[in-house]
Amino acid sequence: MGKTMNKKIKLAVLNLFYVCVCLLGLVPILYILLLSVSGGSGALTTGNTVFPERFTVENYRRILVEEPFLRWLFNSAALSVGTMVIAMGTSVTASYAFSRFRFRGRNAAMQLLLLLNAFPQILSMFAIFRLFRLLNLLDSHGGLIFIYAGSMCIFGIWNMKGYFDSIPIEIEEASKIDGAGNLQLIVKIILPLARPAIIVTAVMILIFVWNEYLFATTFMMREESYTLAGGLYQLQANDYSRSWPLFSAAAMLVSIPILIVFFCVQKYMVSGLTAGGVKQ
Amino acid sequence: MQAGARTVWRVPALREGKRMKKIKKAILPWLYSVPAYALIGVIVLFPILYTGYISLTNMNLYHWQDYRFVGIENYVRALGKIDSGFLSAVGTTIIWTAVNMLLDVTLAYVMAVGLNVEGLRAKRIYKTLLIFPWAMPAYVSILVWRVGMFNTEFGLLNKLLVAMGGTKTDFLSKNVSAFLSCMTLNLWMSLPYMIIMIDGALQSIDRSMYESAELEGANAWQKNLYITIPSLKKIMAPVVVMTTFTTFKQFDIVYLLTMQKGSVSGSTMQTIITYAHQNAFVSNNYGLSSAVSIVIFAIIIVFSAWTNRGTTEA
Repeated sequence: MGKTMNKKIKLAVLNLFYVCVCLLGLVPILYILLLSVSGGSGALTTGNTVFPERFTVENYRRILVEEPFLRWLFNSAALSVGTMVIAMGTSVTASYAFSRFRFRGRNAAMQLLLLLNAFPQILSMFAIFRLFRLLNLLDSHGGLIFIYAGSMCIFGIWNMKGYFDSIPIEIEEASKIDGAGNLQLIVKIILPLARPAIIVTAVMILIFVWNEYLFATTFMMREESYTLAGGLYQLQANDYSRSWPLFSAAAMLVSIPILIVFFCVQKYMVSGLTAGGVKQ
Repeated sequence: MQAGARTVWRVPALREGKRMKKIKKAILPWLYSVPAYALIGVIVLFPILYTGYISLTNMNLYHWQDYRFVGIENYVRALGKIDSGFLSAVGTTIIWTAVNMLLDVTLAYVMAVGLNVEGLRAKRIYKTLLIFPWAMPAYVSILVWRVGMFNTEFGLLNKLLVAMGGTKTDFLSKNVSAFLSCMTLNLWMSLPYMIIMIDGALQSIDRSMYESAELEGANAWQKNLYITIPSLKKIMAPVVVMTTFTTFKQFDIVYLLTMQKGSVSGSTMQTIITYAHQNAFVSNNYGLSSAVSIVIFAIIIVFSAWTNRGTTEA
């Protein structure tokens, strides 16, 4: 009797603890959400209350209509898709080659890729900047796409190679006997089998580009060529305009699609990561 | 093996075709990967080499075109002179990484073990809610914290302070409080990932071990110490190493909170990465910045070689 009572108290304490932790974790997000629907930027600055006097969607209307938000959205979408196409196009075949062929220099090449990936791209940003200036690629979305695609290509190769490794080679041999050519083999057999890995990799590339602000703000000079990340950065950087509620609305709009995508692929991300961990 | 040998012996005409096939097989992998190599070569490899080259010159704002070769002068300046600020940035980075990782792993461990206590029905709900900070785009989270938490006018922390009778404080203006603010934010952003990973790893531990430990009269503390932690070590090692690298390379938090262009907060806290960025894009010491970048690269290589020893790729 005493034991069950004890257990109940323990669980109650534990529940209380987690409710507090979850609340603490969500406070910044909830606060921004609250800011984004509060009317009048003056009310919040002066008062000490957290809750706004009235609720409004005015901030959302203003961000969509008065700021070049849709333009930024379009830029982000174009950059994401462009990067994904180039990075996936180059890395799918390369990771397949690394997984299936044992050729001279294979190990060296893979180690080199790993090494290059360890180099934080921020550190070579100046070199890229100088190079792009020379090539007249500054302030061009094409140039930015290449920068993103370059680093994402390495990520894609390593990410998908592991999955290709797990596809039994017997399947390929069987279809070769049935007379499938190399290209046919990849398109008709391997790609459909590797679909989960390809989708996860592609989504992660999309998220990466969507969330990248540093190169986007350094390499893009005009406000109309900004991505969402760059635009959002710009909104909060304008300290003088005090457009916090506007910024909050934009922050919510930018995060929601990512949150949705994240919760859709999260299952795969965790299992993929831990599976890799166990293998090592 | 036998079957293959017999085929060759029986049908010599096939040999010519086989050689063609062999050549094709040697070229094919390269053919598949050439586009990737070209892309990586131009965007990743060349800039790194170029950075190495710049690090040996005196390139800066005044010597944009007519820079000259100065040998290892920049390296000497970064590593040899205390007032260059690089060595103190190294110190800050080491403390930053150590403190963050210690708190990250310890807190995540406690929370993950707590989540797995028998009878905790709302576990799934807690887990879902806890994931939010991880799912948010990182730069949005940082800007949200800058505006919503640390800001002197809007920030929730200052509102709480004032409500409790304190005075408004600019948390980001002093080094120590800026460090703690960045650390709080870093933990807020990284704990969910660590909790979920440890929670996943906990599921792989054999339940029967606990049962036999209970039969032997082990208490909760002993079960943690002798069963849970040793079992987790191997599974969690890659995740912890990866997170250590991310923490070591952390740039966005420090940069966006304290040193944004046009709104420098006043703290002079620098990690090595922000130091390299600052020298390249703010004070225009391209040579010094590149030398620092190469040193950081060397540190990362040594560190990853050290953590990778023993693990080989199949």
